[in-house]
Amino acid sequence: MVGVAICLGLALAGVQGAPSVPAGEPGGKGLAVRCAKALVCDEEGTVIDRAWILVRDGEIEAVGPHGELEVPPDYAILDVSDRWVMPGLIDLHSHRGGTLQDINSPVYQANPGLRVHNAVVPGNPALEVGVAGGVTTVLFIPGSATTIGGQGILLKTSAPDFEAMRVRDPGSLKLAQADNPKRWGYGMNRIMLNWHIRETLRRGVAYAERWRAFEEGRGEEPDTDPQWEVFRDLVARRTQISAHTQVYQVIYATLRIVREEMGLDVYIDHGTFDGFLAAELATELDVSAIIGPRSISAQNKGRGIDHDGKIVGVAAEYQRRGHPMIGFNTDSPIVPQAELALQAAMGVRYGFDDADMGTLRGLTTVPAQTAGIWDQVGSLEAGKDADFLVCPGHPADPRNAVELVFIEGRKVYDAEEGQTF
Amino acid sequence: MKSLKKLTTTLLFAWGFSLGFQAPLQAAPWDEEDDSEEAEASEEEEEEDRYLAIVGGDVYTGLGGVLRNVTILSKNGKIQAIEADPFLPEGTEKVDARGMRVYPGLVALSATNRISRGLFGSVELPEDHIDHEAEGEHHGHFYASLAQSHIEEVGQDQEDHFFDAQVDTDAVDSFDPYSQYLVLALATGITTAEQGSTALKLKRGEIEGVAMKDKHLTSVSFGSPASRRSTREKFERAAEYLREYRAWEDLNDKEAKEPSRKGVDGGTLNILLGRNLARFGANSRDELLGIARLAQRYGFRPVIVGCQEGWTVADELGRAGATAVVTPRSRRFKDEKLVRPGGTSIENAAILHAHGVQIAVTPSNTGFELSGITGRDLMHLPTEAGFAVRGGLTNEAALRAITIVPARILGIDHRVGSIEIGKDCDVILTDGDLLHYQTFVQYAVVDGKLVYDKEDEIFFAHIRPRPELPPLDPVQVEEEDEASEEPSEEEEEQDDEDEGDEDEEDEEEEGDEEDEKGDD
Repeated sequence: MVGVAICLGLALAGVQGAPSVPAGEPGGKGLAVRCAKALVCDEEGTVIDRAWILVRDGEIEAVGPHGELEVPPDYAILDVSDRWVMPGLIDLHSHRGGTLQDINSPVYQANPGLRVHNAVVPGNPALEVGVAGGVTTVLFIPGSATTIGGQGILLKTSAPDFEAMRVRDPGSLKLAQADNPKRWGYGMNRIMLNWHIRETLRRGVAYAERWRAFEEGRGEEPDTDPQWEVFRDLVARRTQISAHTQVYQVIYATLRIVREEMGLDVYIDHGTFDGFLAAELATELDVSAIIGPRSISAQNKGRGIDHDGKIVGVAAEYQRRGHPMIGFNTDSPIVPQAELALQAAMGVRYGFDDADMGTLRGLTTVPAQTAGIWDQVGSLEAGKDADFLVCPGHPADPRNAVELVFIEGRKVYDAEEGQTF
Repeated sequence: MKSLKKLTTTLLFAWGFSLGFQAPLQAAPWDEEDDSEEAEASEEEEEEDRYLAIVGGDVYTGLGGVLRNVTILSKNGKIQAIEADPFLPEGTEKVDARGMRVYPGLVALSATNRISRGLFGSVELPEDHIDHEAEGEHHGHFYASLAQSHIEEVGQDQEDHFFDAQVDTDAVDSFDPYSQYLVLALATGITTAEQGSTALKLKRGEIEGVAMKDKHLTSVSFGSPASRRSTREKFERAAEYLREYRAWEDLNDKEAKEPSRKGVDGGTLNILLGRNLARFGANSRDELLGIARLAQRYGFRPVIVGCQEGWTVADELGRAGATAVVTPRSRRFKDEKLVRPGGTSIENAAILHAHGVQIAVTPSNTGFELSGITGRDLMHLPTEAGFAVRGGLTNEAALRAITIVPARILGIDHRVGSIEIGKDCDVILTDGDLLHYQTFVQYAVVDGKLVYDKEDEIFFAHIRPRPELPPLDPVQVEEEDEASEEPSEEEEEQDDEDEGDEDEEDEEEEGDEEDEKGDD
């Protein structure tokens, strides 16, 4: 009996002495990734040929070329020296964080107090499939059945539990204009919607201003109202409004009402049809254009849209007008979550000039900066989450399957164990 | 219309012989075609011969070979020569393929009837055109469910392609050779499209010769237990009848009573006789296994549309000689209650192909999606094939999956689907690798006629305009009087260019191309 106990004790001690935490993860030893190309996706769009990427405790420790960057001797080595490594892709328009049927509650016309975080289902198959497409961060947002559908949440696509998935909550306040919220009821047309959006935002901002006054020692403590709480984050620039807005006239209203009048951070989260006609104004007001799920615009009689019969690429048209912050989204499930990179490919097909890899920027840097999570994700820079993917070439080419995906240093997808996309 | 029918009859015969199919000496009762007209339907009145040369491209034959820097010469719509420098008769029209790739025109299965019906063509069909046969409904349901899974909220423009599989219509009667969708199909590289089991050649501005083959496919229902039973019964009855008939034939006894054809399904008979291909819509493993067994038992080669779980039974399907029509990106999650593998796999096409199953690719939406969602409709057929490559299929097999294999399914592979001498000159010229997302079709040629030039059409001319090359033929330039003002410089350049081309030819020519002059 004693002998057995000792054996057990030794076995336990053995386990504790050499913890089986894989390299790169928090608590594990360091991981050095050797690759053909490191697409850093920093502000400058740096590309390092034959690079090392050092990962420790779930974070990027350093990135540098062979021969220059020293790899500490105890680091585990992942040799993908004929592959590209780039930051995980970010999708700022997804409805696939959890149960699809629970994210549209059109009881009232505007619902700034609703939160989709209640609908998150960690490890749900639709999101897991997204990982296989290299998507590591999504903005899971409510549907567009009402002008303000509620608060979205920024999530990592693969993590053990809800807490680990959460990047930021609220991830955004979802605003929807024109077509979809018009269906809410009789008489809900664009002028009504715009009045209503303005009215709601004004009340929300006023609420936040009362709180700010109190916090700065001016005025009484206001009552807490969950319906308006999100505006305190908005006014303090801790979150943004993600706007379901497309068609020139509608985007124009978004820019004027939300950005100019209310002074809130907002980004275009469709921007399609002839929305690019507002590209110059969006540039001037520093509003990003995250484009999708549509990629092209053709003659549309019902909307009075005609580009002289041409079929034009939406991203290309923003680019042609000098818009500097063009990203891509899927509106998953409209386009499956895993096909985010294909959205960029379609941008290129229809005229987007990818000479400086603007597509990669639009899948990583632009959405990270737009959503205010640039300090955490979106590039392979020291101190950021080690969210990266390994791919045989440009991920926009459907023929290049993503082979490995890491989130915070943890391997979450390996095509060799079963290629799911 | 009459001459068209004659033509079709001729084609049917040509096809029959090309497969080595022996027509019985004695007209069997299932021969409904009157073949006495065959002799008449010979050559039409000879007009002047029409030549077109596609000069200086890299020809991807679709059979594995790539012929660099060669010229394809078409005579009256048929490929007569593929050579480095063939003799070009006087008046040969030229298409400049320098720097481009030349591929066989693509073949689209189950295409929307919008291609042929024009911009304002109605998708509503008269009641009597809708075939409510069980198989039709099954098929239609299959497409409808596919469509639903991909569309959800987008809606509107999507309904049209549900009808395709159900509609039993004379496609040519409603063919609009000026349809904008036809232009978009050509812009994608599609030169042949199937609609309701009819193979249509996408001629522009012409009706003559549009119908290539009609009703080569017989839809077979195998979804529900009831339909499986009835299908098995049909095959059993037809096989039994054929045995009885052959025995009766061998007996050669005038007194003996000819076996009754009562209760024998005509479509099934045609499948057993090898005249039609059996088309199934099936995705689940048990259905696929059932089809494989049925096919082996009765000796026919099934075409299976969908085939999502095919990768789990690839060996069985390969041994049954199946052809799979797959949408590589389609997704269906595995039933978690099952222990065995299941659901879709991105590797489906590659695994099936490795087991000898022929692969054809079709996108999830076989219509044209102009409301803005891209990458999953007929305009992105090569992209869909690219997803098969993602799963491990070779680029070559992926090209075949949108050219020769669908041509075989439609029974027109003796005419289209690859670039070979004697075949129809239906080719496309691209500015790069066809399977790359950035590649555009620059020219499309159908029956030796230039029918699409990207620069001349409204849709895509503004996207990466084609760079201008120095003219192909210096002699032609001299004839144009504007250019004669500064002839010396230009000519010099052209000479240099030409010399360069010849050098390349010498270096890169792959010696073993077919060099027999056309066999008329």
